Amino acid sequence: MNCVLEGRGVKAFGKAVHALSRIGDELWLDPMVRGLALRSVNSAHSAYACFLFSPLFFQHYSLGSVSEQGRKTINCKLIMKSVLPLFRCLTSIERNVERCRISIGTPDDRVVIQFFCRHGITKTHNLCFQESEALQAVFDSHLCPNVLKAPARLLGDMVMHFPVSQEEITLSMTPLRVSLRNHYEGGDDHMKNMYTEMSLHPDEFDYFQIGVESDITFCLKELRGLLSFAESHCLPVSVHSGAAGKPVCFSVEDLVLEATVVLATLMDSENRGPSQPTEMPAPTTPRCAGGLPVGSREADSRKPQDTPAMMELIASSQGSPITNPSALMLLLHQTDDSNKLVADEACVSATTTPASSMICSLLFRALSSEQDDNNRLPVLACYSEEEEEETRSPTP
Amino acid sequence: MPLSTQSQADDEQYVLVASLDNARNLSNLLKAITFKDHAIFSATPNGLKVTVEDSKCLQANAFIQAEIFQEFTIREDSVGFQVNLTVLLDCLNIFGGSAAPGVSTALRMCYRGYGYPLTLFLEEGGVVTVCKINTQEPEEPVDFDFCSTNVTNKVILQSESLKEAFSELDMTSEVLQITMSPSPPYFRLSTFGNSGNAHYDYPKDSDMMELFRCDKTQTNRYKMSLLKPSTKALALSCKVSVRTDSRGFLSLQYLIRNDDGQICFVEYFCCPDEEVEEEWLQSVE
Repeated sequence: MNCVLEGRGVKAFGKAVHALSRIGDELWLDPMVRGLALRSVNSAHSAYACFLFSPLFFQHYSLGSVSEQGRKTINCKLIMKSVLPLFRCLTSIERNVERCRISIGTPDDRVVIQFFCRHGITKTHNLCFQESEALQAVFDSHLCPNVLKAPARLLGDMVMHFPVSQEEITLSMTPLRVSLRNHYEGGDDHMKNMYTEMSLHPDEFDYFQIGVESDITFCLKELRGLLSFAESHCLPVSVHSGAAGKPVCFSVEDLVLEATVVLATLMDSENRGPSQPTEMPAPTTPRCAGGLPVGSREADSRKPQDTPAMMELIASSQGSPITNPSALMLLLHQTDDSNKLVADEACVSATTTPASSMICSLLFRALSSEQDDNNRLPVLACYSEEEEEETRSPTP
Repeated sequence: MPLSTQSQADDEQYVLVASLDNARNLSNLLKAITFKDHAIFSATPNGLKVTVEDSKCLQANAFIQAEIFQEFTIREDSVGFQVNLTVLLDCLNIFGGSAAPGVSTALRMCYRGYGYPLTLFLEEGGVVTVCKINTQEPEEPVDFDFCSTNVTNKVILQSESLKEAFSELDMTSEVLQITMSPSPPYFRLSTFGNSGNAHYDYPKDSDMMELFRCDKTQTNRYKMSLLKPSTKALALSCKVSVRTDSRGFLSLQYLIRNDDGQICFVEYFCCPDEEVEEEWLQSVE
């Protein structure tokens, strides 16, 4: 693969790397016919991000070379710590870099990132990579009952009220109101925390669709990178969500790029389904509903059952894999058009398969023939060859 | 100013008296070579030279010519002593590092000779502080025997272009490799770190390249830990000259303009890393 970016594109690319660095420690580079995908997933597999740059984004984009006969394009995995420093100072990149060339070459097992700067200066970085299968998560956002669309600025202004250290927030949607509030685990120190909540009328959004009233709790930190990227490109952000426990998807797109962040959400305890996977014990301390600081919060029209859903947590989206595999596994069953939580099946898989292969199993939920023709995944790449599924093995 | 009212009689006991209206003209320069605690001061009628060394492999010298000082009186051909540089810098900044614009610390540095402390009179806004710093027997600085006649390759670059490169250098690399050649890549800085290697190429016709005189291709490696302190001098400078001699010894000379626009120099000498293996040298992609 060989591609060339011009000045402004380098900055956008760098911003994507910054956003991905908020998610995970590794960066997957997948050159495809559709474009170059940069992906990352966090260690708990509860957050996934993908930035897809179409060939139009580049001054030049070509896959593979004649000499690599029979070899498919290489998908490689880089350590984020080795890539991020190259794009660390975006203002300096904007000022100095005229062109950037990225190529993946087989003989050296290196990814070459070359910056052609002002004054004839050239900076060449040869980075080691691990060959890896593509990382993908399949997410049918069009099946999500709840959809919001707003300028990045609006979402940025909403999350601005929460401190940078805030880990998780809860997005509540009702037909009358969209609200955002911070979320703390552990009822005991509720008196020491400051609770913030803000509400917006559905009219404030460019697009508002509500299928099911919900409170979804997800990790804010992992989202900030995408919001920053969207703001710098003045792109609207779409939020696709469902009930608690189902993943939430934030996406932006324009003519030449698409970016998606998929975050797991805390499971709603009333619909608790799968038990814990055997090799990944998780905190199961039940928290009593009495810990909820009802008094310090404004009484609102939220339904009473939401309260225990909030407090009786299985695990946070940041940490435990319990929620995540089940949440992500549910995606698979969702595409079968089943509204019921097919918990038992998911449960069996969850107990026996490690999370990494869970992701892999999602990968191979490719656009199979079972799906309708009008099912279009908004962003995510897929491999249509069914036989590839068998030959792949889980990412180590 | 209180400092100038000192009597003439006092001055006669000192073998060296050097005064500056703005102590920053000295302290900024010294900061560029503070990678070790001790510095060797050597004064001649030409001016002041301050030397800092590390493990006999690296030497940094700061030169402040006599003309930079408002007063520079020396009663011997050569005066030398050694002081703790960190303590000296603390004293020079005794009124606080960042002064309001227009306000500066005045300095009068006096030395009576062997066995006496270095006395600093510092004044700012009418307040005078006297500091006496113990001196030690000056060590003999290493003579790197770097003379212009042995120089094989020389380039002079505008510091702006190197500053970014040095700030981005992969610190997981143990060495910094410098290639100078009459043919491409002309002037190249390379690192070999945990995640891979990196090359910074400066072509000979770049407008950042003020002088390019390379006769033969030379590639030398220097320990990154030794060269990293030179980044401070680079940050202050506007131009830097990079020279290597036939043995691979490196000389970095930094042209620094002080607060009053006067020119001072800082020079770094570095020995090449002995463990270079020829087969490690990477070629151009």
